[in-house]
Amino acid sequence: MTDRANADTAVSPAAAEGTGSSVMIDLIELTKRFPGTQDPAVDRLTLQIPRGEIVVFVGPSGCGKTTSLKMINRIIEPTSGSIVIDGEDVTTIDPNRLRRRIGYVIQQIGLFPHVTIEENVATVPKLLGWDRDRIHARVDELLDVVGLDPEIYRQRYPKELSGGQRQRVGVARALAADPPVLLMDEPFGAIDPITRTRLQNEFLRLQAELQKTIAFVTHDIDEAIKMGDRIAILREHSHIAQFATPEEILTQPANEFVEDFVGTGATLKRLKLSRVREVDYTTDALTGRIDEPREVLRRRLHESEWTAILLLDADGRPQRWLRGPDFLHDRPVTQLGLPARAFVEGHATLSDALEEMLLGSAGVAIVVDNRGSYLGILDIDDIITSIQTMRDADAEFHRAAKLVDPLDEVAE
Amino acid sequence: MGFFTEYLADPSTRATLIDQSLEHVTLTAVPVLSATVIGLLLGILAHRVPTVRQPILSVVSTFLTIPSLALFALLIPIVGIGATPAIVALTMYALLPIVRNTVSGLASVDRAVVESAKGMGMTATTRLLRIELPNAWPVMLAGVRVATLLTIGIAAIAALVGGPGLGQEIFSGIRRIPAAGSLEALLGGTLFIVALALLFDLLYLAIGRLTIPRGIRD
Repeated sequence: MTDRANADTAVSPAAAEGTGSSVMIDLIELTKRFPGTQDPAVDRLTLQIPRGEIVVFVGPSGCGKTTSLKMINRIIEPTSGSIVIDGEDVTTIDPNRLRRRIGYVIQQIGLFPHVTIEENVATVPKLLGWDRDRIHARVDELLDVVGLDPEIYRQRYPKELSGGQRQRVGVARALAADPPVLLMDEPFGAIDPITRTRLQNEFLRLQAELQKTIAFVTHDIDEAIKMGDRIAILREHSHIAQFATPEEILTQPANEFVEDFVGTGATLKRLKLSRVREVDYTTDALTGRIDEPREVLRRRLHESEWTAILLLDADGRPQRWLRGPDFLHDRPVTQLGLPARAFVEGHATLSDALEEMLLGSAGVAIVVDNRGSYLGILDIDDIITSIQTMRDADAEFHRAAKLVDPLDEVAE
Repeated sequence: MGFFTEYLADPSTRATLIDQSLEHVTLTAVPVLSATVIGLLLGILAHRVPTVRQPILSVVSTFLTIPSLALFALLIPIVGIGATPAIVALTMYALLPIVRNTVSGLASVDRAVVESAKGMGMTATTRLLRIELPNAWPVMLAGVRVATLLTIGIAAIAALVGGPGLGQEIFSGIRRIPAAGSLEALLGGTLFIVALALLFDLLYLAIGRLTIPRGIRD
């Protein structure tokens, strides 16, 4: 997942095989009735998951979303209904054969504690009978993809890793045999918020390359909005309250249940839908090279309208912010001013960027590419402008639906 | 303790004690190995089939409540005298710690680990052999160790039914009380049993080192 993720991974989009139909997972009237219970946990769930998309199942606890997910790889056997994957009815085939074609990531990860990271990742390839060299190469490739240096981590044991690292291994293990489908049950649920945001971003970047078909369960609407190409909001017995894109869910909630579940602060949530690259951020900020003579830098800043100059290293990576008074100190340039902080990449959401700004207490975030090289500056004003634009677009709808957000009232 | 060093200095006594120690080791190892094989199978069965779990545990617990003297004697009409009734009885006693630790060891394997193994398409047998047993092994090994210590102690009773082992020296002492040398024999047999128990403990430490996977060692 770090920048190494961009190395051409041999992980080819699995979409090439199969029927080529746009529906990858087709759930038909799927029902689960647990023994000794009156009401079904999942009642006639019918849902189609398009190829290459992330569909998020979200809903209050006890709504049957996890049961629904676990029926797809038949960890929980459906009572009735059928599951069609890539055109094949898999409701009654050998479940082990089915599961080897579906990557599975759960909240507790469930790495095998008694074997190394390498053996954990190699599990499904071994079951499929790959030869040793191929498995070895694949493990290294995958560890690289999820941002863990194979040289360091291959021979480690799960207990020697942090929670975030274990989750990365869990994802690598699920991807090992390049399954076309992934099931993820609250995969980032047990991780601290900062690491979670990072893993979410890395996963989205990975998915942009891999184009897997993913069913993803969460109870967190914010995570659903961020991760989902489509969201299925489920109510009790896995009845679908609304199945739509995040934009539609936020702007056109189908009913009161969805409105309540999405909650207030829809504007803030929409910050999660806009990406930094979609915003008109500043690309002509004043920059200098860290190895330029300080006099040259000082003059450039002095002659400009900017209050600060951003110093970059030889590879264009931002190093330090320098303001005019900083030049009064008699120290090398590398020790003047403030270290550059709050980096965001183009695919980060405005919400991430805002968080970075607040954390970095700079009021600006530096936009970088995936190698960390400078692209531009995102100002807090850019975000405010963006919110304004969204609000103007929404105001009409909100007013029509008599759903005027208090924030909008104040703004008017 | 002067009298005791004299007892140990006698070459014939030493030869007897060493012979009896070797017999005692066999008398411990055979029942423990049999009980490990049987206990492992019963434990796996109890883990896999919830309805038989309690019956199995109750039966092997009952074995341990039968007084050892009575059990040895009761077995004589069935299997005759000598080492056989002792081996059968000791196997029955050794079952409880092994079965119970196998069941609790398998139950202690993280459910998420088992579920992820299942989710990756491992068959039930592969899951048992590659995931559940290796992770339950430290607890199971502790059960075998307790069974061994238990067996070493109870094995001394075997001498009463004509069985081999250090129990012979102990009972030869008991029979001759208060004659000269009776206390020495009693003490000699007991000390050698304790020493054997310590040696077995060291053995289990070594087995643990060699067989518990590094990822789950403390």
